[in-house]
Amino acid sequence: MNGNVLIEVNGLKKHYNKGTVKALDGVNCVVHKGEVLVIIGPSGSGKSTLLRSLNLLEIPTGGSILFDGVDITDPKTNINLHRQKMGMVFQHFNLFPHMTVLRNMTIAPVKLLHKPVAEAEKKAMELLTRVGLADRANAYPSQLSGGQKQRVAIVRALCMEPEVMLFDEPTSALDPEMVGEVLDVMKELAREGMTMVVVTHEMGFAREVADRVIFMSDGVIIEEGSPKEIFESPKEERTKNFLKCVL
Amino acid sequence: MVSVVLHGSFLVYPEVKINKRKGMVISMTVISTTAITDWFSSSLADFGAKLQMVFVEEDRYQQMIRGFLNTLQITAGALGVGIIIGIVVAAIRSSYDKNKESLKLRGGVGYHILRILNLICRFYLTVIRGTPVVVQLMIAYLIIFASSKNGVPVAIFAFGVNSGAYVAEIFRGGIMSIDGGQFEAGRSLGFNYLQTMWHIIIPQMFKAVLPTLCNEFIALLKETSVAGYVGVVDLTKAGNIIAGRTFNYFIPLFTVALVYLALVVILSWLVGRLERRLRRSER
Ligand SMILES: Nc1ncnc2c1ncn2[C@@H]1O[C@H](COP(=O)(O)OP(=O)(O)O)[C@@H](O)[C@H]1O
Ligand SMILES: [Mg+2]
Repeated sequence: MNGNVLIEVNGLKKHYNKGTVKALDGVNCVVHKGEVLVIIGPSGSGKSTLLRSLNLLEIPTGGSILFDGVDITDPKTNINLHRQKMGMVFQHFNLFPHMTVLRNMTIAPVKLLHKPVAEAEKKAMELLTRVGLADRANAYPSQLSGGQKQRVAIVRALCMEPEVMLFDEPTSALDPEMVGEVLDVMKELAREGMTMVVVTHEMGFAREVADRVIFMSDGVIIEEGSPKEIFESPKEERTKNFLKCVL
Repeated sequence: MVSVVLHGSFLVYPEVKINKRKGMVISMTVISTTAITDWFSSSLADFGAKLQMVFVEEDRYQQMIRGFLNTLQITAGALGVGIIIGIVVAAIRSSYDKNKESLKLRGGVGYHILRILNLICRFYLTVIRGTPVVVQLMIAYLIIFASSKNGVPVAIFAFGVNSGAYVAEIFRGGIMSIDGGQFEAGRSLGFNYLQTMWHIIIPQMFKAVLPTLCNEFIALLKETSVAGYVGVVDLTKAGNIIAGRTFNYFIPLFTVALVYLALVVILSWLVGRLERRLRRSER
């Protein structure tokens, strides 16, 4: 099992306000290559903080994160290079409003990977076609629906050919009728073998797609296991209570 | 009121006043129309002669044009310098405000470098915004570039450094107004801080502050009118020189005022159009 560990989190801590707020209080977990890891838990339990620590959008106050065997919390590692291999999808899409869909997708490969523009655009068009948005390539983000924006955000991250995709509540800002189209894209991605870490409240998605589920509360992992274990026979009281509320 | 024309060359204004003591008083004002046209044409000819004397004799209009071009050159140059300084200072200041916590956590020298750069920027902003631009201009000309004979580059430098302080704060406000998610999206793709600034934040920031920036440009245009202090013949100085040479103050000074006014009105109109265009593209 150790051979295919992609991310290893050891004793991760994130304290705010001189330790009075413990968003993360000693988290240990691993992400294996090719697996879909879903993180669930009540609001404020530290799910976003954990996910955002994985690519150092949040700088932890303690512990370490190994990515491909390299400690990325070490100040000497070049975090920008590692972030290129970790795609991230945000709740609020965060598309660049001053660029077309195509430019949103090609700017990073062109500027960072020094891909020729034509090659980057070809790849972007392929991805857009796969998510059914080829005809919107020259639209601006403000001309897209929420579901379309999030699909573009996903393929924008994919353009960098990342080793792992991080999703922070990708469907929480969407109108209900648009949730499905985004989840479908994520399911297909999972089928293709992409390594994914997903924070979500979509329990149906977790049950169907996850290889492993982590339940967090108060900055620590309470329980982890297969979707079957977590959803059908949770061991911890807090997991049971949470699931009673959301299912 | 009734005006009666007599013989075609007189205007009569009968005026009726009710006076409590004297009763009704009817007064007649009779003005020769030829007198008016005479006065008008003679003063017009006089004005023409004065214009001729002020601007045409000794080709003095060329001095005005040179002054006008110098004013434009100094304003445009200073704006360029100001924008460059403004971007750098605003990037450092907002980077410090945004990243100091995470940089402190990450350790290393980055935090200390940024802290010192931020201090330098704050010193610059305080000094420049706390002293009059004329004094800065004279310090630049008489002390920093004491060996320079040409005032125009010195004026561009001085006004640019001055304007940079104001532009920096405009830009910083613009950067702060951009959604933090834009930074995060840029960084998560692998752009470093400066690349994120350059490709993602600054283009959006420019759009947000463009009207304010244009107003700074208009203010700068008027501020350059003190360039005469360092031997630059700008528009104002040209008017002043001509006034001194011809002993006619009215024509050159009002001409100068009108040129500034026209420039400002045109620029303001363009800014207004720009603002409407930007608002429309946001929808
Ligand atoms: N910048 C911050 N300053 C202080 N507390 C914070 C900050 N960011 C997050 N927190 C706290 O950390 C905890 C975890 O937040 P978060 O990871 O966003 O939770 P979740 O994503 O599970 O809802 C919350 O209690 C939140 O209030
Ligand atoms: Mg969250």
